[in-house]
Amino acid sequence: MVRFHRPVRREGDHFAVEFTEAERALVSSLTAQMRHLVTSDSTAIRRLFPPPYGDDAERNAGYDALAGTELVDRRLEALDVVERTIEATELSEDELLAWMRSLNDVRLVLGTILDVSEDEPLVPHPDAPETAAAYEYLGFLLEMVVEAFDE
Amino acid sequence: MSVLPRSLAAVSSPAPLEVVDPDVGTENAIDRPWIVLVWNDPINLMSYVAFVFRKLFGYSKDKANHLMLQVHNDGKAVVSSGTRSEAERDVFSLHEYGLWATMQQD
Repeated sequence: MVRFHRPVRREGDHFAVEFTEAERALVSSLTAQMRHLVTSDSTAIRRLFPPPYGDDAERNAGYDALAGTELVDRRLEALDVVERTIEATELSEDELLAWMRSLNDVRLVLGTILDVSEDEPLVPHPDAPETAAAYEYLGFLLEMVVEAFDE
Repeated sequence: MSVLPRSLAAVSSPAPLEVVDPDVGTENAIDRPWIVLVWNDPINLMSYVAFVFRKLFGYSKDKANHLMLQVHNDGKAVVSSGTRSEAERDVFSLHEYGLWATMQQD
């Protein structure tokens, strides 16, 4: 019988996490790359900082001056939590939320790089098949995290 | 759970943000609420989007799923409304969770 690998489960007021070494290594590597990206001017992170006022450049700039750094800081704080708890077998709700936000951020960046669209299936780039694989894996992991919160 | 961005919270009372641009300053511009929109995107998972609506706004499962499906099927949905600074706080929180959110005056 196939054992369905379920990496995150609610256990009372906290969450039990069960990752393989390979999964932890992947998450660790992706979040480390994210830490560099999130403070860079790479176009791959544009999806993380949508302009709140649509086409109104002046108001977008005003908002960015006020909240832009804060939004970067919040992302770095979430990445800190993931790094600190990368080997943990138990996470609090706040820690799992930080994991969820960080993994979703990484997935948004990978989806941007892969140019994901709703109309066409995901086609792995021949030079970087692992990018598409990581994207699919993070989708699975996020579904599991949302499901655990719903338990 | 605290979702109040420190920088936005710090300026919300003396309110440089509340100043209405003269060019849009019709009589009732101040009274018209701001709405927060979430836009469809091909990356975020449907279950994740519905979860974020429940988490941030305290919406029921039914309401959150309804809004998520509206985003998915119609391309966008109004998820909250309020003063300009309230809308900016909601937009910030949605961006923190990676959703594509914008705001405009109703």
